[in-house]
Amino acid sequence: MRATIKGKIAAVAASTVAILTLSACGGGSGSSAGDSPTSGEVNLIAYSGVWQDQYTAAVIEPFKAKYPNIKINYASKRSSAEMLSALQGQKNNPATDVAIMDNSVSTTGNNQGLFEKIDTTSVPNLANVPEKFRDKDGYGPVAMLDAVGLLYDTATFPKAPESWKVLWDPAYAGKINVNAPPSLLGLSLTAITSKMEGEDYTKGIDKAVARLKEMAPGVQTFAPNPDEYQNVITGQTVLGLGQNARGQFYSDQSNKKMGVTFPKEGTVYQINTINLVKDAPHSAAAKTFVDYALSAEAQTAFAKALFYAPSVSNAELPADVKNRVVPTDGSLNIVPLDVEFLSSARDKWTDTWKRQIITK
Amino acid sequence: MTETKLSIKDLTKRYAAGLEPAVDRLNMEVEEGHLVALLGPSGCGKTTTLRMVAGLMDPTAGSIMVDGKEITHTPVNKRGMGMVFQSYALFPHMNVEQNVAFGLQMRQTPKSEQKKRVAAALDMVQLGHLGKRQTKELSGGQQQRIALARALVVEPTLLLLDEPLSNLDAKLRETMRSEIRSIQQRTRATTLFVTHDQDEALDMADRIAVMNGGLIEQFGSPTEVYERPRTHFVANFIGQANFLTARVGADTGAAPVGERYYKIDVDGFGQFGAVGVPGLTGSTHELVIRPHRLNVSLHPGVVGPESIAGTIERVSYTGDALAVAVRVGEKSLQAQLLTSSGDLPRAGETAYLSWVAEDAYLLPAPAKGLPE
Amino acid sequence: MTLLQNKIPPATHRGIEEGVLERAAGKRNRRTYLALLIPGLLGLLVSFVFPLAYMIRMSFNKGAPDGVIIETFTLETYIQPLTDPYYWRVTLDTFQMGVTVGVLCVLVSYPVALFLARSTSKYRGLLIAVAIAPLLTSAVVRTYGWMVILGTNGLVNSSLEGMGLITEPLKLTNNMTGVTIGLVEIFMPYAILAMISGFGRLNRQLEEAAGSLGASKFKVFTRVTLPLSLPGLLTAFLLVFVLAISTFITPRLLGGGSVQVLATEIYDQTTGLLNWPFAAALSVILLVLFGVIIAVYQRLTKKIGG
Ligand SMILES: Nc1ncnc2c1ncn2[C@@H]1O[C@H](COP(=O)(O)OP(=O)(O)OP(=O)(O)O)[C@@H](O)[C@H]1O
Ligand SMILES: [Mg+2]
Repeated sequence: MRATIKGKIAAVAASTVAILTLSACGGGSGSSAGDSPTSGEVNLIAYSGVWQDQYTAAVIEPFKAKYPNIKINYASKRSSAEMLSALQGQKNNPATDVAIMDNSVSTTGNNQGLFEKIDTTSVPNLANVPEKFRDKDGYGPVAMLDAVGLLYDTATFPKAPESWKVLWDPAYAGKINVNAPPSLLGLSLTAITSKMEGEDYTKGIDKAVARLKEMAPGVQTFAPNPDEYQNVITGQTVLGLGQNARGQFYSDQSNKKMGVTFPKEGTVYQINTINLVKDAPHSAAAKTFVDYALSAEAQTAFAKALFYAPSVSNAELPADVKNRVVPTDGSLNIVPLDVEFLSSARDKWTDTWKRQIITK
Repeated sequence: MTETKLSIKDLTKRYAAGLEPAVDRLNMEVEEGHLVALLGPSGCGKTTTLRMVAGLMDPTAGSIMVDGKEITHTPVNKRGMGMVFQSYALFPHMNVEQNVAFGLQMRQTPKSEQKKRVAAALDMVQLGHLGKRQTKELSGGQQQRIALARALVVEPTLLLLDEPLSNLDAKLRETMRSEIRSIQQRTRATTLFVTHDQDEALDMADRIAVMNGGLIEQFGSPTEVYERPRTHFVANFIGQANFLTARVGADTGAAPVGERYYKIDVDGFGQFGAVGVPGLTGSTHELVIRPHRLNVSLHPGVVGPESIAGTIERVSYTGDALAVAVRVGEKSLQAQLLTSSGDLPRAGETAYLSWVAEDAYLLPAPAKGLPE
Repeated sequence: MTLLQNKIPPATHRGIEEGVLERAAGKRNRRTYLALLIPGLLGLLVSFVFPLAYMIRMSFNKGAPDGVIIETFTLETYIQPLTDPYYWRVTLDTFQMGVTVGVLCVLVSYPVALFLARSTSKYRGLLIAVAIAPLLTSAVVRTYGWMVILGTNGLVNSSLEGMGLITEPLKLTNNMTGVTIGLVEIFMPYAILAMISGFGRLNRQLEEAAGSLGASKFKVFTRVTLPLSLPGLLTAFLLVFVLAISTFITPRLLGGGSVQVLATEIYDQTTGLLNWPFAAALSVILLVLFGVIIAVYQRLTKKIGG
């Protein structure tokens, strides 16, 4: 009898865990009371953490000052994939109005019919977004740009490393953090390595895998915690993959204990788009918000706050901010990682890392 | 005179620094082959004493000797004693045979001999047929016997029993009492037996140690502690007793075993006879009279020259005997009569109480708080 | 009950009628019991049975890239992991981690549990509370604590370096070592509680009895204490094993991406790759693994529990 009860408890415990991992589904409920261009509310879904803090301070607060009758409800997610997952769950009954997410993920959303097209009649500031930053089908445009950078400990490297090859330097073995795919950082490193090896990664990545396997034993962590920046700042590692924007921000926060740089072999853009959810419950207010998000004022403020490059042509940045955001004028060596390609490669590359590259 | 098996000197146990000692400078000598009952009210230190003898607890002071050898600090497993616990403490993961064989295994007795001795021990407690049973499949009495067999099979230097019968029902207790006694007599195992049941002690023991508040008030044979209690506590604890305060007068001559007869004066009721140790004349002592030694008559003069008159308060009839409570002044005295077909006393009647000198015992220590 | 007593018939025909009445009362009782069970059963249905059924159904769907779920009925999600050596390795690693953590956790918790179970101190309640107090902080917080302690510049490495025992920091995090250490500590309170409740048959008197029969301290332990605490040890092991193979926070945070177990795999598949059907299939496989372990456990307890 005792044994059976214990058995049952164990079984319940077991399946609860299994279920918990799946229970991220289901969305909030949207109230559609009073929606107009200047009143109502906007349910926004975007990144969490420091991104949320800075975006709130630089964009949402000024927006609220300007439109006191529009309330913004910010639902934060750790990754674009989680945002997509949430939106997919609400597909038949959308509760979200606006999503700011990685463009590879938003393209998937566009293809899956999760988003609405945007035009200049309801979003006049779209006119200031250059053609290259607009969606060719008219879906959500680029809202801000960033790129993958190399994080380094300034005490170990008084001068920023110039090449990604430093990651293979035995001197730093055990002091490197690399976010493995499906993180965009790991996917980007795969493409960069492939290119360095003179390979066309759209055809195959055998050479890159061979190279990455040489690096892997020297990697301290493939899933840095609490995040890639803190690992370098606390001295757990001295080199790491990270995003330029947050890297710059944390560099300041840590009194330049950590630096971030773009090595000469090139890097991969990380682009966020701003998207209007299809059948959004507060479509009118949401468009007002999207328009504001694309204003020179908001774009400049956020660039100053978190070092994302603006996507509008009329945003003027002070020099000390301008030279810290990712260049969008073609001066940076970019390894192109096509969105459509990425969507087909993500699973495969993730698998390859798990099975072949990551060492135990 | 036989050998002294166990000798305890000034044994003291204080559980914690500030506390009263649970056992206070206890002294006792136990003869080889004797069954000694440690008798006393709850909390008087019986278990504590037994555990110190067993080696399950370190004494605060004093010494314990067995066969003339000091064992005060010998660890429990080196003492070679057999212990039976109140809850029997049979190993639940072993069957009956394995339980009984445990002590022999620890002594590395050869397998074949183990077998023989286990069988013999089980036969002795008449449970030879239950060897393969699991212990939880036994009745209380059977578990009790197995525990006894397990303790005895190692031929212990001392057999220690802590209230072994208290978990059994009244009927079984009687049976087990005589069984334990007969096994003990057959094996001649010197035994310490803790109980708070005076009947058990009187029935089974060669010697009784009456304990109170960590001390032994009296150590003696059952008849001694019953007939010649040394203290008020002993007289009161063992059997029933009536207490009267007596002013001891003249020594009137020699009584058996070195005692003397005295004339005594009981609180204005007159002159009576009593017996006591020599040299009591002139002081005030408590007089102990057992209920069945108190004579009751409904007519003055019938029971003897001197008597105390009182009023019958209550009469209870139990078939064989009649218990009568007689009020005398402030006191209520208990008397016990054998029933006969004669006239029965009734409540409210006047009764006349008296006794013969041999049946009235003066406690040796002067009564406290009374004028000398 | 009172009803029944009023109706007890005269002694002459008790035999038959009492049986009938008892059965009637039994039925009534059973109905009352069932009624009392309903809220609990409903709760279980909503919070456990439905999600479980949903998960099992999901596991027969087909997952396409970017979180597209194709409603169908296929065994592909099962065939894929079952025919893939990688998932066999992950499953085996999961199992191995569960066993290692279970064994170590039971080993380190046993002395504590034994002490607490046998303590007669008036502070026993307090001590038990202290032993299980870590449960008041979440596993996430404790895992972060271990990251700090075990990290390259953490307490352990810096003290070892300070003592001159090592020159290069030991790699204690971002691998199975770190995960194992973290999990063992995190599950200790559970193990201690499970053991204390499983030590029912153990008592001081049995040990004293063994001692009085000539058993040395060591023999008392091996012949009495240990055998009697086996049910508790086994329960604790099972509990820790189940918790260990189902937890994902600690392997995730302390494993640094190098520790791939079923739970982290399920997490990656759901939140990273949005492949819910596949994640569901892995969850079902994990459930089956639990089932097997529990069956073994029941066999064992029957054997040793007696
Ligand atoms: N572990 C202990 N700590 C403190 N005091 C104790 C402890 N064990 C017993 N005592 C105290 O010591 C005194 C003697 O206890 P002991 O158990 O020897 O009594 P006992 O005569 O066996 O009583 P009983 O007939 O109720 O079993 C009691 O006052 C008891 O409260
Ligand atoms: Mg006692």
